[in-house]
Amino acid sequence: MILLSLPSRTDRDLYPALMSPELNAKYPTDHKAFVRIDVSLRMYWHTLFDICPELLELSGLDGMSIFRPFMAWAGEKKLAFDWSYYLWVYVWLRQSPFKDRLLADDKYLRSVMAASAARWAILDRGRDCGIVIGCADTRNLVIGWKCRSVRLGREIELIEPEEPLPAPPDIFGYFTLQTFELDVFPGWQSLAR
Amino acid sequence: MRLGFNFTLGDTYDMAQRLIAEGHIDYCEFLIDNFFCVDPDELAKAFDCPVGLHIMYSKFLEADRPTLVDFAARLRDYIDALNPIYVSDHILRFSHEGRAFFHLGEIDYSTEYESVRDRVVAWQDIVGHRIHFENYPSIMDGGREAPAFFERLMKETGAGVLFDASNAVCAHRNCGTPFEAWRNVIAEAQHFHVAGYRHSLVEPFISLDTHAEALAPDTLAFLRDFRSVFDKPGATMTYERDDRIEFDDIVADLKLLRDLFGQPEERRHDLALSA
Ligand SMILES: [Fe+2]
Ligand SMILES: [Fe+2]
Repeated sequence: MILLSLPSRTDRDLYPALMSPELNAKYPTDHKAFVRIDVSLRMYWHTLFDICPELLELSGLDGMSIFRPFMAWAGEKKLAFDWSYYLWVYVWLRQSPFKDRLLADDKYLRSVMAASAARWAILDRGRDCGIVIGCADTRNLVIGWKCRSVRLGREIELIEPEEPLPAPPDIFGYFTLQTFELDVFPGWQSLAR
Repeated sequence: MRLGFNFTLGDTYDMAQRLIAEGHIDYCEFLIDNFFCVDPDELAKAFDCPVGLHIMYSKFLEADRPTLVDFAARLRDYIDALNPIYVSDHILRFSHEGRAFFHLGEIDYSTEYESVRDRVVAWQDIVGHRIHFENYPSIMDGGREAPAFFERLMKETGAGVLFDASNAVCAHRNCGTPFEAWRNVIAEAQHFHVAGYRHSLVEPFISLDTHAEALAPDTLAFLRDFRSVFDKPGATMTYERDDRIEFDDIVADLKLLRDLFGQPEERRHDLALSA
């Protein structure tokens, strides 16, 4: 039996570690706290790679060469891990050793934009009906619509506009729609951390 | 005991209809904030059965008042249109220092009681409806304090508990919270959840509330041992399934629950009327 010097009576004692592979490593692996943190970290892993499996082509099957440095970077930047989670992974990849391979095929970008649009559509609880995501690396837009009928789920659309919108000032920009119609361009909002 | 099924998104619409038509369930539980862009009248007509409303993302322990007021205003439209059997929410943490958990966090029952109680009072007041709060599938030892916390919370706020039986089984397995400690909570509660769980991938194994597998033997034994404490007039039990959604598997579990609790009073009455 290993005596654990870190507090671990309650779940709350572990909150900071629940999103930090680095902190998880400080807990002995045969302790329940380690497993609980591991469960949490796996959720971040699966949320990324189950939805964007293409990224595993860059990282290798266990995803760790992306996951670990990204989580550490996200920790430094205090990313909120809101709907924009996937977009931030792309932002990180763009300044990582994976950059050239990332930019050589736009399937990665399409995948993260669709994933973030879907996550917004399922998690946002504001009054908006849809979100439009744009990126400086493409003219295409991705729209996420919330569930609008009891028989449907959320819907994701890829749009190739005839007249492209101005590029967002940062890598990504977004705006939200108050109706189920894409009929306005109020300008780009930057991602919140 | 009326049995229900959790309806979280449109993909399971046809299946939920079939569960109702074939008499496997008596009501549906909507994960209501998933449907905030659906017209309340459309939702009210969706199923020919009573409904419960389960809130997932009010984040009432964390959100500021204007956000909660706006959330509640929309919730109210659905309460008014659907006249639900109950409205329920969760006592848990969605974030730490502004950063979201993807596996939600349990509160510290001993140090956070007062602040949670005040939030519960305020949230029920904003919604204008009694709310039943769900217990967490505890992992860490702090979970042993949950039964006393919920008992006191009910007493001091008038709130109900939506008692998730398999969450209590997970807590029992993970941190040894005795089933007996929940007796008063179960006796007071009208509304229940039950689902499958699975083990963590790494040792020492912990049990995780996954809603993806069949009811476990110890969950069924718990329900059997406390059958008379669970069952009461007006009681409901929602069978939760969010993954590996197979009609036959779900029906098999619902049949086990029917065998255990028998046909509900309400349905027996319906059947007598239509006979
Ligand atoms: Fe729940
Ligand atoms: Fe539940």
